[in-house]
Amino acid sequence: MSFLLEVEGVSFSYGSRSVLDSIAFSAKEGEFLALLGINGSGKSTLLDIISGFRKPETGVVSIGGRNQRQWKLREIAQQVSHLPQAIHADLPFTAEQLVAMGRYPHTDRWFESVEDHECVRAAMERTSCWTHRHRAFQSLSGGERQRVLLAACLAQNASTLLLDEPSTFLDIEQQLHCFNVLREEAHGGKLCIAATHDLNLALTYCTRLIVLSDGMVAHDVRTTQAQDNNDWLAVFSSRLNMGKTPAGAPWVWYQ
Amino acid sequence: MSTPPKLSFVARYSLTLSVLVFLGAALLLPWVGAGTISLARVLRHQSPDYDILLQLRISRTLLALVAGGALSLAGTLFQAMLRDALATPYTLGISAGASLGAVAVIAAGWETFLGVPMTWIGALTGAFSVLVLVIGGAFRQRQISAFSLLLTGIAINSICAAFIIILSSFAGMSRSFSIARWLIGSIDATSYSSLGTLAAVALLASTLILTQARSWNLLAVGERWAASRGVRVASLLAQGYILGSILVAGAIALTGPIGFVGLIVPHLVRSRISPDHRILMPCSFFLGGALLALCDALGRVVMPPAELPAGAVLALIGGPYLVWVIRQRVPAEEI
Repeated sequence: MSFLLEVEGVSFSYGSRSVLDSIAFSAKEGEFLALLGINGSGKSTLLDIISGFRKPETGVVSIGGRNQRQWKLREIAQQVSHLPQAIHADLPFTAEQLVAMGRYPHTDRWFESVEDHECVRAAMERTSCWTHRHRAFQSLSGGERQRVLLAACLAQNASTLLLDEPSTFLDIEQQLHCFNVLREEAHGGKLCIAATHDLNLALTYCTRLIVLSDGMVAHDVRTTQAQDNNDWLAVFSSRLNMGKTPAGAPWVWYQ
Repeated sequence: MSTPPKLSFVARYSLTLSVLVFLGAALLLPWVGAGTISLARVLRHQSPDYDILLQLRISRTLLALVAGGALSLAGTLFQAMLRDALATPYTLGISAGASLGAVAVIAAGWETFLGVPMTWIGALTGAFSVLVLVIGGAFRQRQISAFSLLLTGIAINSICAAFIIILSSFAGMSRSFSIARWLIGSIDATSYSSLGTLAAVALLASTLILTQARSWNLLAVGERWAASRGVRVASLLAQGYILGSILVAGAIALTGPIGFVGLIVPHLVRSRISPDHRILMPCSFFLGGALLALCDALGRVVMPPAELPAGAVLALIGGPYLVWVIRQRVPAEEI
């Protein structure tokens, strides 16, 4: 099975400050990757590069076996959907208008077609926000907004979903819902990559953990093997330990 | 069962209404003024009614319609680019540059060049000088961001304002008065050739802006949001700034710096009709033109035989409205 996404030797710096240094990993359809690392480790920058928002100084990103530089930005948008970390909450658009923007890369029509509306509705029903479709985005609660933004990513119908801290500011139930939707998408054959600080959500829902440290991929471990060698935990804090839940699942706790 | 594409219906309905208001203003407002114009005399081509209507009232109404539309559309554009409902053509320094160019020409006492009013040439030169400075200042590492555009624009605004004050101080009494009069902004009768040129430029720039309405929607959400949906953000921002500057410079060259039309109309359309730029932008153009033409007509009848400049009437309406907008405004938060 060929790789859907290949990142080879990607480096990036902001001025003189190097953020990413020869990052390399690859991922297949059906995988759900957790992109982990402390603040400033380059998670968001790496997602920006994969989505085409930033150009790497060195290295290559390939999507579907084709160098990203050979893709037009719109073609990338048909393949890769990106939910940025921060979206202004005071947007005047309705929830439905925002989700419908996910259809823009797929059509040149001035207004969306009936098929586009079907797609928007399916995405909004999937994230349980269809009932809010006529409400202004700025009038929604934090959890409702995140559902709408997730629906916008799903409506883009891309094969790779990039999500930058999708569970931030969400209550426990909303976090579980968000990661559950992403896991289902991965089961459906998509590649999901979520940058997160929640190690337990990553261990519970993701199939692989990519841990960034000092601008490099410090650890690339399967979630099922994360318990066998927990060196990767030291990247975050020396106070972390790993145990098991009563159900036998790995669980990170701190002293 | 799919949701019917309601947007098309809303678009058709609101667009039709806006066009009707625009056409209504074009047909009715030339008849409004200090003196009554007889339709019968106009139809018989009898002076002075025929000449007043044709040479004065129609040309200034059409100028108000086109300039108001251009300034309103430019306001909508800059608000999308900066993601700020209070951004106007003045925020990015273009208006200040145009004003400085025109003020410099008035202070120097230059009136015409090859038959073209020097204030037009000065305003256009000033606007495009600022355009080059702001674009040049905002580009970093082959990238351009709305934030750097905003900061550079604010800096240019302050510099231009300082030069305008200095020039006014040394211009002498008569020219200082002319400068103050020009800075208020007013709609005066103009030649049909000038009007035609402005209309052609405004039509071309507006069409190019409107064809990218979907991209403005995306940019109004965020730069990453737009990029991940296929928009080349730096290129779009540069295009928006250049096209918006052309609209503003063209309008200001003929009318002076008329404020608020680029703030009031986009805000009203966004909140009352739709924030979708496919609807917002054309509606803003048509309603902005109609509003400025209405303000100009009001200025003609409020204190006859004296005329209030359209810029002053608009400021009297726009000032309180701006205060109301600020009071209604919820601080932006990020999720």
